[in-house]
Amino acid sequence: MSAPNRKLLFDIGSTYFKMAENGTIRHYFRDFNRPIFDDLMEKCGDTIAKYRPEEIQICSSANGGLSTLIIGLSNSFSLKYAINIAFNSGINIIDTVLYHDIDTAKPPVEMIDVVIVVGGIDGVGRIFDDRLFDFLQDCAYQNIVYVGSADERGYLSEKLEKLVVLDNIITDKLKINEGALKTYLTDLYQADIMGKEDIKHLYEITANQIYSTPYIVNRALSHISDRLDVADPFIVIDIGGATTDIHYSSDLVNDNIVGEGGYDRLVFKKLGVYKSRESLIHTARQNEFVYELLNYLNVTENILEEESEAATKVLMQLAIFLVLYKVSRHHSDYVELKLENLNSIVLTGGITKVLNQEESETIIRFFYKKLLHFHQIPGIVLDKNYEIWTYGMQEFTNEEATKELS
Amino acid sequence: MSLLQREREIITQNEYVDHFDFEEIEAFVKSASKELFISHRFKTSDAMQVQPRGGFPTYEKVFRLYEEFKEAGVDVLPLTIDSNTRLNDYATAKKMLALSEENDVDMLNGYPLINHGYRTTRKMITHFDTPVSLRHGTPDARLLVEMALASGIFEIEGGPITYLLPYSKNFPLDKAFLYWKYVEKVCALYSTFNEPINRESFGPLSATLQPPAIVIVIQLVEMLLSLEEGVKSFSVSFSQTGSMIQDVVTANVIKKLARHYADMFGHHDADIHLVYHQWMGAFPYNKEYSDALITASTVIAAMVGADKIITKTRNEAFGIPTKEANARAVASVKYTLGMLKGLPAVSDEEEEENLTSMVNEIMEAVLNDGADTLWRKVFNAIKKGHIDIPFSPHVINANEVITIRDPQENIRILERGKLPISDRSFAFERSKIRLNEGERVVDKIIKDIGIMQ
Amino acid sequence: MKVVTGVVGNDIHVVANRLIEISLKERGFTVFNLGVNTYLEEFLDAIVETDADVLLISSLNGEAEGWCRDLQILKKQYTFRKDVVFMIGGNLGVGEMDPDALVPKFKNYGFDLVFHQVDLNVGLDTLENYLKAHA
Repeated sequence: MSAPNRKLLFDIGSTYFKMAENGTIRHYFRDFNRPIFDDLMEKCGDTIAKYRPEEIQICSSANGGLSTLIIGLSNSFSLKYAINIAFNSGINIIDTVLYHDIDTAKPPVEMIDVVIVVGGIDGVGRIFDDRLFDFLQDCAYQNIVYVGSADERGYLSEKLEKLVVLDNIITDKLKINEGALKTYLTDLYQADIMGKEDIKHLYEITANQIYSTPYIVNRALSHISDRLDVADPFIVIDIGGATTDIHYSSDLVNDNIVGEGGYDRLVFKKLGVYKSRESLIHTARQNEFVYELLNYLNVTENILEEESEAATKVLMQLAIFLVLYKVSRHHSDYVELKLENLNSIVLTGGITKVLNQEESETIIRFFYKKLLHFHQIPGIVLDKNYEIWTYGMQEFTNEEATKELS
Repeated sequence: MSLLQREREIITQNEYVDHFDFEEIEAFVKSASKELFISHRFKTSDAMQVQPRGGFPTYEKVFRLYEEFKEAGVDVLPLTIDSNTRLNDYATAKKMLALSEENDVDMLNGYPLINHGYRTTRKMITHFDTPVSLRHGTPDARLLVEMALASGIFEIEGGPITYLLPYSKNFPLDKAFLYWKYVEKVCALYSTFNEPINRESFGPLSATLQPPAIVIVIQLVEMLLSLEEGVKSFSVSFSQTGSMIQDVVTANVIKKLARHYADMFGHHDADIHLVYHQWMGAFPYNKEYSDALITASTVIAAMVGADKIITKTRNEAFGIPTKEANARAVASVKYTLGMLKGLPAVSDEEEEENLTSMVNEIMEAVLNDGADTLWRKVFNAIKKGHIDIPFSPHVINANEVITIRDPQENIRILERGKLPISDRSFAFERSKIRLNEGERVVDKIIKDIGIMQ
Repeated sequence: MKVVTGVVGNDIHVVANRLIEISLKERGFTVFNLGVNTYLEEFLDAIVETDADVLLISSLNGEAEGWCRDLQILKKQYTFRKDVVFMIGGNLGVGEMDPDALVPKFKNYGFDLVFHQVDLNVGLDTLENYLKAHA
């Protein structure tokens, strides 16, 4: 192609900056004593200076991601659809309240970035009442959006200040309608960045919208096999410091959601190896297989208390095991994945810097043997260079270009 | 290594697959007998090919079934795959195969090809030295098709739409398109080794009052998706509608338009064939009536000039037929065909014109979608209800089209839903429909579904 | 009047399901068809989301009992804003089961109207009469 496809791509993470220029990716460890923007300019300023703001694309997870509280009318429709849209839009932390149980639900302690209220197909009225307003009084939130029945819009808008009203996410045929809410949530991410003192300056170097990294990764997945030895159906596991992200091919679930992208996402909020270390260990101790697992890895329980490289490796392996366990049929929660159909497992994020191929295979082999009674495991790919996000950015660039043409 | 080959390496490394030797398989296909290729048969014979349905769990039973078929003069052998394998559940298939082998009871409704493996299966296929057609119903048939081709099965039935929408509630259609793209690519690759691999679409769909316009559109798009990847031999198909003239009209239109669209997309070198399925709806419990139905449909197959006919048996209403009953049906169809040489061409111009218009109108809407790939255009068309299959269980299917029979038993579109057919075409369809005073549509549909019972 | 309908459990009888939908629409109902392979929770959730008046579950493969046994318990977890009519029909038992025992059994599970191997029109006529009588 002769088109000037000059692009400088950044992923601004909480521990690393990654810069991609002409297919080369450089990683820079963050200096936590400096504001993000200053740190970035110090490390990459010379390169940035060579590009125009239109040529620079940024995705980021540095703001920790957004949190949401979803209040919905039923598990199979309102909550399920809203959770699906929220995860796929890059939201990290999701709490839900089934409206039927709102009287007994505990309001979240932390500040919520956005409350999503949903319920009913258009034409249905008298869904919500004072119980909703009472509950919301005890919640601290920045934004609130309503995506339920059109008939409740007037009533709720009257009662709730700042209420943003969008298209119903449930169609008249009880199908999902993701468009408006998805756009709203991704835009909210941008607004969040602009509102944060230490990263809002990122907009000084780019003229493009900043998206959340998981949203970009999700968009990258249909191109992943062009670059890595990965075949559908597969999952991508991104074990971070605080949360663990999973992206999965949509044919791994038995779900009635007709989506667009081919891949869905979910997050385990308390399965990180640094910030959520304690809860990870707690979860591990509760697991019926953990002692066999430690035995298999040839370590004792004491290692969980240690602060060493070996301990970090074991924790990472535990995290992989627990993630697979939580999406397996042994523990069906929000989704249950058909792990026996998996062709590939991609590991990305910090984990690839700690575990090598063999150590990753060891733990996955244990899982497949123990829980699925398989001798063979899916292909394991370590995204060592941490490059998946760059495919998502490129896909974006191409799409924008197509849009301009048409 | 090519992208495709990298994917193939991953797909064939599976818990249930014993080392997949690509080089050995390539050598086998290159030196395989021409007799195994139906594409070769089509080129060298004018006779209508007769193919029954059938498959059993164990090697032994399939072997004996094939012996029975050969004795009855079969042209093409079927290999029907069990339903666990169709859902990629090879673990259950393995367990049930073991039980079937131990107890001599059939615990599966077909042959678990993955568990048997290609080394074993190939022995049987080469022994009979006759074309075998793979019949399954699998949305993700990548491994199954690899295994079939490695076994010497050189005709693959199915497609992303025809093997998904009639069978599944929620397997994602976009994934099915991508998985079938792989199948087409592998079939295209193997077609360069020896004679072409033949791909066949499955026109009967849900086998319940399917309007020919929709059947033809789906046949055309699956054909184009296949040829696009390099497949050179393709069979479009449909099943007996219940009206002889509608079958004739359908066949004429599908033959004409398949060639037209293949050429339009530059696939001048592709061979296109027509397959006719004997009645796929509910059969009568009376076996003599079943015989009559089978004979009548054999006559129609001859009238429409089918290249292949897929047969039923007089035991259809009673479950899986015995190998003897199945073979007897083959012999009887062959016998009937012997009397049907040199039939005059029949048609109804007005009907042909209207059906052609409807198909072209829908095809135009499909091809005009803004997506950049053909599969996504088709995906969007289904999502929008531009293609809508009556009686599909799938969540993506619009389920708005309603069809009933006219007094001549032709299947007509009563409600068009979101089908992008013109008012003129639709008016023609509606003009043929007669509902009795006070007759409920649902009662008419029930009657129309059961016309052969 | 709004009706939620579908086939319960691991049952793929799509023809019967679609015929029920067509017939209900022909009789003037607004229909929400959840299709085949539907679970009890999904049915109840759909009532909540649509404010339906009637739930019509069909079952053709004889597995209905296993799926519907816990209806009463499940119902307690819901508040419906209407007095919803619960109806089930199809082939409710398999084999040698006593057909006369089936109706009281399913009524006990929490169904108002139960039809075992009854013609579709008869079933829906009965539903319409029932709705009129309880209007």
